[in-house]
Amino acid sequence: MVSLLQEIDTEHEDMVHHAALDFYGLLLATCSSDGSVRIFHSRKNNKSLAELKGHQGPVWQVAWAHPKFGNILASCSYDRKVIIWKSTTPRDWTKLYEYNNHDSSVNSVDFAPPEYGLILACASSDGSISVVTCNTEYWAWDAKKIPNAHTIGVNAISWCPAQTPDPAFDQRVTSRTTLVKRLVSGGCDNLIKIWREDNDRWTEEHRLEAHSDWVRDVAWAPSIGLPRLQIASASQDRHVIIWSSNTDLSQWTSCILHTFDDAVWSISWSTTGNVLAVTGGDNNVSLWKENSEGQWIRINYESGTAIQSKQSHNLHPQQPQQPAHLHGSSDSDHSSNLSNSHLSNSQLSN
Amino acid sequence: MPPTETLRAGSSSGGERGGGTAGGVGGVSEQTYIIRQSNKCYEHRDSQATAMSVDYSGQWVLLAGRGHLALQRLGQDDGTLRRHERQSKYDVSVAEFAICPSRREYCAIATSQNIDIVRWGPAEPYYENSLRGHTRTVTDIDWHGKNPNLLVSCSIDTFSHIWDLRDPRKPALSLNAVCMSGATQVGFNRVSGNLLAAAHDGDLRIWDIRKGSCPTHYITAHLNRVHGINWSHMRETCLATASQDGTVKYFDVCNPRRAEKIITTLSPVWRARYTPIGNGLVSIVVPHLGRGENSLLLWSNSKQTDPICSFVGHTDVILDFAWRPNRENFNEIELVTWSRDRTLRVWKIDEQMLKLCEPSADEDEESESTPRYEPELSELRALTPPEFLHTLHPRPMAAASLPIVATLDAAGAAGGNALPMARSPSFGGVYTRREETHIARSLTDQPTCSLHHEFSLLNTNMPNVDVDMLDAIKRYACFKICAADHTVILQVTFPTSYPSPNVPPDFQLCQGTTLSSDVSAVLLKVLRSNALQRVKKSRSCLEQCLRALVAAMKKRVTAVSGVGVGADRSQLLLQSPRLEGALSSALHDACIPFPRTSGVHFNAIGMLTTFAQVLNTKRLTLRQHQAITPRTLSAINSSGLLGNAMATTQRDANASFYLQERMIAGKPGKQRVMRQMNGTTPVVHVYDASQLLHINREMAREFTLDKRNIADTCRRNGEICRAHGRLDLLPIWLLAELIATPPATGQQLGMNCPMLFHKDPFKKSLLESLIMHYAGAGDVQTAVLLACLFDKCPAAPSDLKDVPSCRLPSQLHAQLSPYHTVLPLDFKSSTQSRTAAGNLQQLKQLRSNSWSDSLNCLMTFGQTDAYACSLIKRTRMPLFDQFKRVYADILFGWQLLSKRALVLKHTLHAPPPSQGVEFVTECSGCAKPKRTPKCEPCKRPVLFCTLCCLPVRGAANACLSCGHGGHMQHMMQWFEKHSVCAAGCGCRCLQRTSELLALIS
Repeated sequence: MVSLLQEIDTEHEDMVHHAALDFYGLLLATCSSDGSVRIFHSRKNNKSLAELKGHQGPVWQVAWAHPKFGNILASCSYDRKVIIWKSTTPRDWTKLYEYNNHDSSVNSVDFAPPEYGLILACASSDGSISVVTCNTEYWAWDAKKIPNAHTIGVNAISWCPAQTPDPAFDQRVTSRTTLVKRLVSGGCDNLIKIWREDNDRWTEEHRLEAHSDWVRDVAWAPSIGLPRLQIASASQDRHVIIWSSNTDLSQWTSCILHTFDDAVWSISWSTTGNVLAVTGGDNNVSLWKENSEGQWIRINYESGTAIQSKQSHNLHPQQPQQPAHLHGSSDSDHSSNLSNSHLSNSQLSN
Repeated sequence: MPPTETLRAGSSSGGERGGGTAGGVGGVSEQTYIIRQSNKCYEHRDSQATAMSVDYSGQWVLLAGRGHLALQRLGQDDGTLRRHERQSKYDVSVAEFAICPSRREYCAIATSQNIDIVRWGPAEPYYENSLRGHTRTVTDIDWHGKNPNLLVSCSIDTFSHIWDLRDPRKPALSLNAVCMSGATQVGFNRVSGNLLAAAHDGDLRIWDIRKGSCPTHYITAHLNRVHGINWSHMRETCLATASQDGTVKYFDVCNPRRAEKIITTLSPVWRARYTPIGNGLVSIVVPHLGRGENSLLLWSNSKQTDPICSFVGHTDVILDFAWRPNRENFNEIELVTWSRDRTLRVWKIDEQMLKLCEPSADEDEESESTPRYEPELSELRALTPPEFLHTLHPRPMAAASLPIVATLDAAGAAGGNALPMARSPSFGGVYTRREETHIARSLTDQPTCSLHHEFSLLNTNMPNVDVDMLDAIKRYACFKICAADHTVILQVTFPTSYPSPNVPPDFQLCQGTTLSSDVSAVLLKVLRSNALQRVKKSRSCLEQCLRALVAAMKKRVTAVSGVGVGADRSQLLLQSPRLEGALSSALHDACIPFPRTSGVHFNAIGMLTTFAQVLNTKRLTLRQHQAITPRTLSAINSSGLLGNAMATTQRDANASFYLQERMIAGKPGKQRVMRQMNGTTPVVHVYDASQLLHINREMAREFTLDKRNIADTCRRNGEICRAHGRLDLLPIWLLAELIATPPATGQQLGMNCPMLFHKDPFKKSLLESLIMHYAGAGDVQTAVLLACLFDKCPAAPSDLKDVPSCRLPSQLHAQLSPYHTVLPLDFKSSTQSRTAAGNLQQLKQLRSNSWSDSLNCLMTFGQTDAYACSLIKRTRMPLFDQFKRVYADILFGWQLLSKRALVLKHTLHAPPPSQGVEFVTECSGCAKPKRTPKCEPCKRPVLFCTLCCLPVRGAANACLSCGHGGHMQHMMQWFEKHSVCAAGCGCRCLQRTSELLALIS
């Protein structure tokens, strides 16, 4: 079902913290504790096309803007800065804008749906969220801050997909009413908060409480138009929770996807909003899908017949690829794989 | 009138009445409070014990010090100690016997970062366990009152760990107070045992151990450090705190906003503990500057103005006290105290004293009235700055606001006493005599707790700084700083009054310093100004000064030698205000999540990126006591390297951020070494997960949307699915083919029935549920293809021919202008209303709506028919359009642009781009703005071309200034040659319009 296209040796000098493909899947951006962001061609394992240096600390996350604004990439770092990069060719990158109005590490960045324009949301450990808007005509930047969004710190941020105006009304009327922007954030106060923009001000619309430890990642599911919205949240308490609501966002119900073996810190929705990828401290990647009964089922590589045997060994990124450390970690990896397959089988038999 | 009111009135009315007031109060208090000498006294001249504890039975007192542990039996009067040597470089910070009888021979002894659990056998102590988990000095330990296996410890590293002795390898629960200040005191609730209080500077955090993720309450308790926490033995939610700010406060955690009661003394209070029986509380007051009385006072909980009893006898600071329960007579308890004068004293608290603690009838009344003047007390508290405690310089303002001081000063002046003392007014007479004997005191007499504290906080791994000596007793420290090719030997001497404001430490550059004298002078100036700045804010200054010195040295020396300072500047920029306030940069990382070692990311077209790296924990020495990954960045204990990387030194580009050892720059083959150290190579995998999402680029490229023969198209699409292995979709396309096949005419009743194939209710519902099923299952591709194929399909040519009512001349088809393909909204809504109505009626309705001749009507019919033939319900169209748009975005990502355009052609409700200027024409008949080329009610066209005077139906343009315009073509022709308006209004249309457009944008 999932086929490996390319394995890219990033050659970062330190830990990689995030990797993201652009809209077309052509360019890969990675960021690392060595303070750099690297750009690769996603189909060729060549040397990096470009190395973007500008951060003085570990870079936590990168985000691509929609291609209608050009090739634009945002990166956030421990050094409290957010840098927005722009390229003319994949090898040529320049710093477009630097946002440094946070007092602590910036942990997460996310670009708004392109319908709203070029807008970036940043989440920082100083407890605040920044919404940086760009006027693409003059490339003038403006920032709004939500102070004290989460006590202790904000760990993750994600935009609500652009809400289509309710088609029951006249098209011409609704198209003129501005779309309501919404954000979801997760923080060290174990809460998930939903923010909406009212008259240029961001107000807290909902707070979702179910996690018992820091929320490490949140992701608002892309919508294909069905009248439901979903948010996934991953937490240090080893849970991934799926929050669902109808379109008016008045009520949120939670459902625990799974309790993992270790803290979970990275989740991502597929474009169609029906597959969720999860990874955490145990370094295992798992994919989850909701079946027609509304249960979440792990669709992992080992369990299905759909897996192509020649790629199966590659599908475990955590498996050692260098003989240098085979002795060190192979045992534990094997056991974790076994437990995984065991787990996924039991999941499927449910 | 309550006494405080009297005091207030007395002090505010003037100084001359002060003496009288003091006398009055003194008269009351001298009658009520008792002075007690100790019942027993054991002297241990050679003991260096710093911690003391009494065991459950009350038989044994443990004295723990750096060199030995010693037990003193209280029942026997011989005073001999059972001494046991121990080897440790560090002082014992705290020692506690277990409270529960089942563990009566156990005690916990905290030294530096570790806690030893010691069991006292008949002959000698056995070290049972060592609890390791803290990363800085452990400051306090408390045993659980009910569960003999539990104890809590707190540390400068801000954590409070709860240990279960059955599993001593790691804490059973770690309470992480994410804050800048370490925990100094901790205490289990004595009644329920579920609550726990921890002190961080002046703040309290109340935790519920059943919900350990975050504190249940935050209490901003004191202005200065809290030295003692004690929970009530009686009331579950009550606790008392003792603080450096000279107050003891009673809190109810259910109402944490303000203290219930406050005892105000003028010196820091070291401990305050409830009496185990009765209604009392005993406090240790530490006199400032080593002068004044080492008072041990018993207070009644219902009367905060005066103590019940004062225990006198100790000649030096009392280090700690403990209750000695009397197992025979429960109405009597004894107080055991250990002082720096190296005496252990035992005081009996008899029934008489306990009785005095009980609220009497009139005191009851008073305690009821307490809330009445409590606001005043809180007001006083707010007005009392920390420097007020430094009683050598009482501020007039503070004195005026605090009646007690006013009377003190007055009393002092009246009695000719040159030394205004820090003490409660009520026992002034008693103490003047005593203090004279203590005027001459050595430096070491000052309690060194705060200096100790600062030293324990000091990051000993600062770059460029070597710590040679830290001596809290002799109050000096030595550092060797190597930066910019120079060495500085710095000696810092702390005055006795150091922790108080305005008293910075002394700095000296000693022999071995390689700097010239003028540079040295500058550096010293930097140090002094930094230190002064910090102490003014009552903050610890040592670490900050050292960092400032290193920075200044680099800057100074490079400036002198003319080397660029660019590298340093970037580092200075990095110093945040938060970091400055931080005692240690490692604490700063406590609120930053642990870095991700793995990640996933889906992009817009279903490609998945993953990576995972194994953290090499051996190299990283995580502070890992849990099985799961720690949550904060501060868990990476790379000797503060991480923090330093942000603070002063520049990070070696080749050194891993998380490694302890730094690598040597420019080493050949560094990358390989790096990888070995890091564990894994940072490899990113790119997957194509589109099949998982049921979308396929190749299939999307091959699928057709040929409307001429829908059934045939379905068959072909089915073949494409088969070719790409989507066998599951074959039945669907077969079904679609069946839906598209018009039923055989013979089976139908009427002549025009073939027209009605799209009205088959079964097919409609089937199709809808098919599309909804695939959309719900995430297969957008199939859903959209079905929706497009059956949406807006023109009636098959064969059908059209068969319809007798539709005598559409073939040449009319050719005349269908592109304009008419976009239908006005009105038509859509009108067609929507037709459901069960016959075709003829529908035709009539349409005709009645038509605005021109019958020819136009027929054209309209031919067009509306395309919509009418759709098997998609109109109510579903907007939703399906949304699916199409999502799919179009995916096609865009695949760069299948023509396919995308084809799909988008099937959307009805294309959202109009709401940007730029838009023309709205106004009907000349009804004067209403119209967006259509004709006015429906007036039945007339709305826009006439200024040039040809004919109605405009297609592309039009107009001047923004005068409003004249018409056919696009005509306007372009006109303005090729002219610059003024064709209507003859004289408007310079081109110029004006461009001006206006510039204005708008």
